[in-house]
Amino acid sequence: MQAVVVDHISKCYSDKVPALKSVSFAVNQGEIFGLVGPDGAGKTSLFNIMTTLLFADEGSVTLLDMDVECDYKKVRAVIGYLPGVFSLYPDLTVEENLKFFATMYKSSLTENMPIIKPIWKQLTPFKTRKAGKLSGGMKQKLALCCALIHKPEILFLDEPTTGVDPVSRKEFWDILKTIQKQKITVIVSTPYMDEATRCDRIALIQEGEIIKIDSPEKIVKGFEGSLYSIRVKRIFDTLKVMEKCPIECIFYPYGEYVHAVFYDKNEVTIPIRFADFMKDNNMEYSDMKKITPSIEDCFIELMERRKSE
Amino acid sequence: MRVILMLIKKEFLQVMRNPLLRSILIIAPLVQFLLFPFTADYEIKHVNIAFIDHDRSSTTQAIIQEYLSSPYFIGHGILASNDQAQEMMLHDKIDFVIEFPVDFEKNLMNRQKTGLAITANAINSVKAGIGTAYVQEVIANYMDELASAMPPEQNRQAQIFASNVFWFNEQMNYKNLIVPGILVILVTLIGAYVTALNIVREKELGTIEQINVTPIKRWQFIVGKMIPFLILGMMEFIVGLILMKLVFGITVQGSVSLLLGITAIYLLAMLGLGFFISSVSENQLQAMFIVFFLFIVFVLLSGLFTPTEGMPDWAIKLNYLNPLSFYMDVIKSIVLKGGTLQDVKTQIIALSCMAVIIDTAAILSYQESSK
Repeated sequence: MQAVVVDHISKCYSDKVPALKSVSFAVNQGEIFGLVGPDGAGKTSLFNIMTTLLFADEGSVTLLDMDVECDYKKVRAVIGYLPGVFSLYPDLTVEENLKFFATMYKSSLTENMPIIKPIWKQLTPFKTRKAGKLSGGMKQKLALCCALIHKPEILFLDEPTTGVDPVSRKEFWDILKTIQKQKITVIVSTPYMDEATRCDRIALIQEGEIIKIDSPEKIVKGFEGSLYSIRVKRIFDTLKVMEKCPIECIFYPYGEYVHAVFYDKNEVTIPIRFADFMKDNNMEYSDMKKITPSIEDCFIELMERRKSE
Repeated sequence: MRVILMLIKKEFLQVMRNPLLRSILIIAPLVQFLLFPFTADYEIKHVNIAFIDHDRSSTTQAIIQEYLSSPYFIGHGILASNDQAQEMMLHDKIDFVIEFPVDFEKNLMNRQKTGLAITANAINSVKAGIGTAYVQEVIANYMDELASAMPPEQNRQAQIFASNVFWFNEQMNYKNLIVPGILVILVTLIGAYVTALNIVREKELGTIEQINVTPIKRWQFIVGKMIPFLILGMMEFIVGLILMKLVFGITVQGSVSLLLGITAIYLLAMLGLGFFISSVSENQLQAMFIVFFLFIVFVLLSGLFTPTEGMPDWAIKLNYLNPLSFYMDVIKSIVLKGGTLQDVKTQIIALSCMAVIIDTAAILSYQESSK
């Protein structure tokens, strides 16, 4: 059975800018499904619709065969939601927050302890501390505990790692893997493309539209064009010159390099032709080599291509 | 049930841990009771008075002496001209000028009509109004003395004495009026203000969304919010009653349990109002402005600080929509007059209807999901 079915969801806020344009996807039970996209792509709107907080203008969302609008009461009992901003009571202690939300779900601290045990262990020393006085990483872990305390079947995490340091981020994803082992379906959004590889499947969302859904491996495999990394001295000037490049390509800065994706059948001659073009325009460069694309390259390529089309 | 108890417990924990709210709940009634009645005292003292005496007779001298010996007036001498008087009034040095015309004494003795001019600085209309009464009273007293000093055969005119007896507030003590009014303000503020700010704060923190994704029902959330603030409001009211007794010696003349019962009804209406306001506002600032605006309108219409009799008809009729006005009637009736259930029946019905309407609106306006 599919845990989540999103069917042609559209949402438009009062400012007439569509936030979501006919979004459809399905999430299998027990998988970690990533929703990857830049800020403002519509991730949070989509989350709010899936978690019964917002009504869609069109389309439907079904969670475990329940409609989020008609059966919202039943839906709420089986989902856990970790919002993008910390939204627990800052003036209650860690334990009081957890107890409070356990009671709201008609559960108790002891009933589902096994599920949150690994996370709760780290929080135990701060049990009597007020939630508002916790560090960012600890706040996030507490919020996760509160979202899991009723043993939900589907867990929604809206940008759980935004603003969290790299070590805590890695830790957080490890935790998600253990949650997945408890047969909980996890839907997580992130603006960090490198995190996408830790999901079973990902949907790339941009400007309210899903532009790709697949497993990270398949997305990398399906990369079109040939990717080169080029070391340049003056990135800005180089990018400006490259706009006039006669070979059909997409290029973007990547650290101190420029990554260029060429779509040319005659692949062997690309470096030579590119060298000629750069020479004509008096641009210096070095270290031009063909590389295998990372998931990030795939996303940027997909988004850039969509923009130019 | 467990859910509601938890919601109530959470609310009390938060109130106890919020230093600002805690001090508002403790300090507000104290300050209001210990400071407010003294500032809102309508009794006028230190009236600055000056005289223009065109007569310069012994009678005018005697009247002036009367004024100067009164504790209410501070004399600023006999002025030479109207211009000088105007100048002094312009600079707020004097509040009243009494002008005796030429032949004042002669006319008086010959039982001819005579008069004197009282000019009041009416920038402060209360001071001018009450001050005028004082000024006239001094003259009236003097006239009485004059009449009784005359041989009876000369004192032929029939004299009518109007004597005032103020019922239920015998010494015309304004504290008796203001103090119950402060009780009303206290209950209103706790009911509407604190509730509205509390719920809007949950909106700001995002905790309301976290609660909305849980399967708790709408009524559970609302009851969980209302009960704690109902209890707090009642506690504040009882503290107010105790302070009223200790500081001002005002005891409730009627039934205390009736008073508490009606206060609970009124609080339910105010809690609903606070709830409704929090539904329509985005943040605490907006909620504060709406409560403040409504509060001022309610208080001004209610006649707590200004008599309603002076208002136009439509304003008086508008009071039928003002819960504060009904509650004020109840407080005045039960606290000062010892009113019974029968006396405040209309107000109870009105307040109950308002509570039902406001609370229904509050429940309907609370959205678990947004469009």
